[in-house]
Amino acid sequence: MFDDQITALECAADQWRTLPSGLTVVVRPMPEYSGTHAILATRFGSIDRNFRLGEQEFSLPAGVAHFLEHKMFEDEEGDAFAKFAKTGANANAFTSFDRTCYVFTATEQLDEGLDVLLGMVTHPYFTQGTIDKEQGIIGQEIKMYEDNPDWRLITGLCECLYYEHPIRSDIAGTCESIAQITPEMLYACCDAFYAPGNMVLAVAGRTSMEQVVAACARAGLDAPRPEKRPVRLWAEEPLTPAATSKTIRMAVAKPCFGLGFKEKPLPAGDLRDELLYDILCGCICGGMSPLYRRLYDQGLVNPGFGGEVLRVDGCCCILFTGESEQPDEVCRMLCEEIERVRAEGVDREVFTLYKNVKYGQMMENLENVEDAAGQIADFALSNQTVVQQIAALADLTAEDADRAMAEILRPERMARMDILPDGSAPEEEEE
Amino acid sequence: MERIKIAPGVHLSCDPADKFNRCRISIHFLFPAKRQTATAHALLPLVMERGYADCPDMTQLTKELARLYGADLTVEGRPMGCSRNFCVSVTGIKDKFALCGEPLTRRYAKLALGVAFHPYLVEGAFDPEAVSIEKQMLKRALEDEFNDKRLYCMRQAAREFYGDSPAGIRQEGYLDEVDGLTGEELMQAYREMLRTASIELIVLGCTPAQTDAVRDALLEELAQVERAPAERTGFIAMPRQETVHKVERFEMVQSKLCMAFTLGQPADLEQMSVYRLAMALYGGSVTSRLFLNVREKMHLCYYCSSSFQSFTGSMVVNSGIEHADAARAEEAILKELSDLREGPITDEELEDCRRGLLSGMAGVEDTLGGIESWYYMEILRGGKIYTPQQSRQALLAVTKDQVRAVLRQFSLSVSYLLTGNEEEEPHV
Repeated sequence: MFDDQITALECAADQWRTLPSGLTVVVRPMPEYSGTHAILATRFGSIDRNFRLGEQEFSLPAGVAHFLEHKMFEDEEGDAFAKFAKTGANANAFTSFDRTCYVFTATEQLDEGLDVLLGMVTHPYFTQGTIDKEQGIIGQEIKMYEDNPDWRLITGLCECLYYEHPIRSDIAGTCESIAQITPEMLYACCDAFYAPGNMVLAVAGRTSMEQVVAACARAGLDAPRPEKRPVRLWAEEPLTPAATSKTIRMAVAKPCFGLGFKEKPLPAGDLRDELLYDILCGCICGGMSPLYRRLYDQGLVNPGFGGEVLRVDGCCCILFTGESEQPDEVCRMLCEEIERVRAEGVDREVFTLYKNVKYGQMMENLENVEDAAGQIADFALSNQTVVQQIAALADLTAEDADRAMAEILRPERMARMDILPDGSAPEEEEE
Repeated sequence: MERIKIAPGVHLSCDPADKFNRCRISIHFLFPAKRQTATAHALLPLVMERGYADCPDMTQLTKELARLYGADLTVEGRPMGCSRNFCVSVTGIKDKFALCGEPLTRRYAKLALGVAFHPYLVEGAFDPEAVSIEKQMLKRALEDEFNDKRLYCMRQAAREFYGDSPAGIRQEGYLDEVDGLTGEELMQAYREMLRTASIELIVLGCTPAQTDAVRDALLEELAQVERAPAERTGFIAMPRQETVHKVERFEMVQSKLCMAFTLGQPADLEQMSVYRLAMALYGGSVTSRLFLNVREKMHLCYYCSSSFQSFTGSMVVNSGIEHADAARAEEAILKELSDLREGPITDEELEDCRRGLLSGMAGVEDTLGGIESWYYMEILRGGKIYTPQQSRQALLAVTKDQVRAVLRQFSLSVSYLLTGNEEEEPHV
C-alpha cells in the first residue's frame, strides 16, 4: 500500500553516483531551501578494534575511531573549524559504534565548505604533540558520559551480553586506552577506513549532483583508486550472554534498570529485520501496548521506558531500559509480556499503526536538510535508498513479526543491568 | 510570516510553508507566572497531553496519533522571564502524503483545539485518576532532575540567581506541593490561563482555506470563554550583587560549573544583534574565546559555552571539568570575559563569528521549528517583529565597540559547582 503512494515515492527519490574512486555520492536537491547539509561518512566506528587490510592484520585500543574524528579537524595549517568559519558553515562530527560522520551546514559558499570537508578527510595530519593535546579534552568527554546513567546502562548491558565483541567497549574508549594512540596508528586507520570506497558523501539542500561531483573532483576523488576493503574481524560468539547480570552504584535519584537480549547477528545490509525488531519493541512495550499502559498507570515506569535495537556487524541485541523504584516487578512484567506476545501473536492493529508511524517518520526525515542528509547517509552506508526502505516497510506483515518472535527475545539469552542509587542524591528540599 | 489580530489579545500568524512535508498548528498561551499556581501549571501539560474530552484514554490517543502517521502532539510549558508560555501543538505530514486520502490537516486542527479547549473532565474538574497518575510522574521528574548533573547544576544556579524574583518561579513545579494538588485546583489554574493569556495561533504549512478554518474554529472556542487578557510582563534584570559561590558534593566523575551573570538592567531590544554577536564571540560558537581558549588551548573541558536570555538580561556559562580544575576553569572563564572587555578583538575573530551567525540566520526558515521559534520569540519580546533577513542586516552593522560595551555590562552573580567527594578542595 505504501508503494502506491506516488507523491511520497517521488518525494523520497534521491540521486546516486559512484565515482571512479569508489566514493558513493548521494544528493537530494532541495532548491526551495536556503541551506545545504553535507555528511561525509566512513564505515569506521568503535567496533573496529581488529581488522585486516590486504594481508596485514591490525589491533587497536578502544576509542581510536572517536579519537581520529577529533584529530581529523587538524592539519599543518591549523584546524578545519577555522576554515569552516571563513565560509560561515557550522561544522561538527560524531562517532558511533560502526561509523564516523563529518557534517556541516552552509547557506553560502557551499563549494568552499565542501572543499574544506573533503580536504580535511583526504589530507590527514597527526603528530604525537597534537595527539597528546587531545587527550585532555577527550578525557573530559569520557568522564561526562561516565556520569550519565542512560549511557552506563547501554554499555553495561553490552558488557553482559558479549564475551569479546568490541561493542563491549565505550565508543570514546578509556583514558588509559586512548593514551596508547600513536600517529602511526591513526595513519593506518585512515589508509584502511578513509579510502573513498569505504565512504559515503550525502548532501541535501540547495545544491545539485553536478556541484557535489565537481567538489569531489577538486579533491581528487574522481580518479580511480586501488580498491581497499578493510575487513572487520571479530570472534564468533555463542548466543548465550557472557554474564546474566551486573549491578553498579552511582549518584542517581532512583534505580535504573536494563534488560538486554542477545540475537543472531543480521547480515550486512539487512535493514528489514532491524526495522521489524524495532516495530516489535513498540508492539511489546511502546505507548500503544497494554504493557506500557499497565506499567504507567501503576507508576512503575515513566515515559523514558522503552526498547531499542542495537545492531552492528557481528552483533545484534534488543535493549529495554528505564527507571523504576520496582525494577524487579517491571522486568517480571516485561518478560511475561514477551512470552504472551510470543504465544498469542502481535496485536494486528498495533503492528499496522507502528508501520504508519515509521512511514510518517521517513517522510518527516526528508523535510529539512539535516534530517534528509542524515537519513540518506544512514541508508546509503547499507547500500539502501529511502525508496527501498519505504518498500521494505510496506512489505512487513504481522506474520513476519510472529515468525521473528519465535526466534528472538529468548530468556536464555537475556542479561540484566541495574544502577542503584549510592545514597548521595540530595534529599527532598524543605521549604 | 503574516500576523493579524483576530480578537482582543488573540493573533494569528501563518505561513503556507509549501516546501515542507509537514504542517504544524500551535496554540500559544502567554500569561504572568505566579508562585501559587506554578506547580499546577507544571502538572497541566502532563494531564492534558494524555487525553481530552473526545478521546480521554491515553492509549487510544496514542493510537489516534499513529493513525495520523505518527503526528506529534505536544503540550508543554516554558518559562519566558516573568511569564509562562503554555503551548499545544500538532505537527504531521501533509494531506498529500496520506495513504488513503485522509483529510489529515482537518484532524490535526480538531485535535489541537480539542486538547487546548476540551480537556476530559469529571464533575467539572480534571479526571482524578489522570491527575493522580500524572502527579506521580511529575514527582518523579522532579526527583530525577539530579540524574542529569548538567541540568541539575543549571537549575540550582538559576534558583540561587533568581531567588524570590518572579523570573525564578519554577516552571518545573515544586516537589513538596505535588501531593496536595487536586483536580479542582488544576481546573482553576487552567481556567485562569484561558481567561488571562495572550493567545497566538501559529499555522504553518497549511493552505489559506485550511488556515481560515483553524482560525474560525479557534474564535468559536474563544466565544465560549470569558476573556480578560493580562498585561504582558516586560524585560527584567536581576540587580548586581556580590558573587555567591555554592558547592555541592556527590560521588560523580566530572564536576559541573554553572556561572550566572546579570546585565544589571533590562536588555535593550534595539541591541539584540549586539547580544547575539557578543555571545558568539564569548562562548556561543566554535569560534568563540571560551571554545578556542578554555577548551582547545587550555584543555580544561569538553564543553564550555555561554548563552544569553533576553527576557531576564542574564548570561549563563556552563562547563564540565576535572574536580581539581574548578578554580582554574572559573578563573579562565572570567579572564576571557575580561580580555574581550579590555583587550583587543581582532577583525578576523569578529568576522568569523558574524559570518557564522549570518549563515545560521539565513537557514532559520528551513525548518518548521525554526520559523515558529524565531517569530514567536520576536512577538514575545514585544518590539517590532524582524524577519531573519532584517536581523541579518542589523547584525552586519554591529561594531567591536558595541560588543565590548555589552560585555562590560555583565557581572557575575552566582557560581555554582557540583563536584566529587574528593579530599582535594576545589578552591573556589
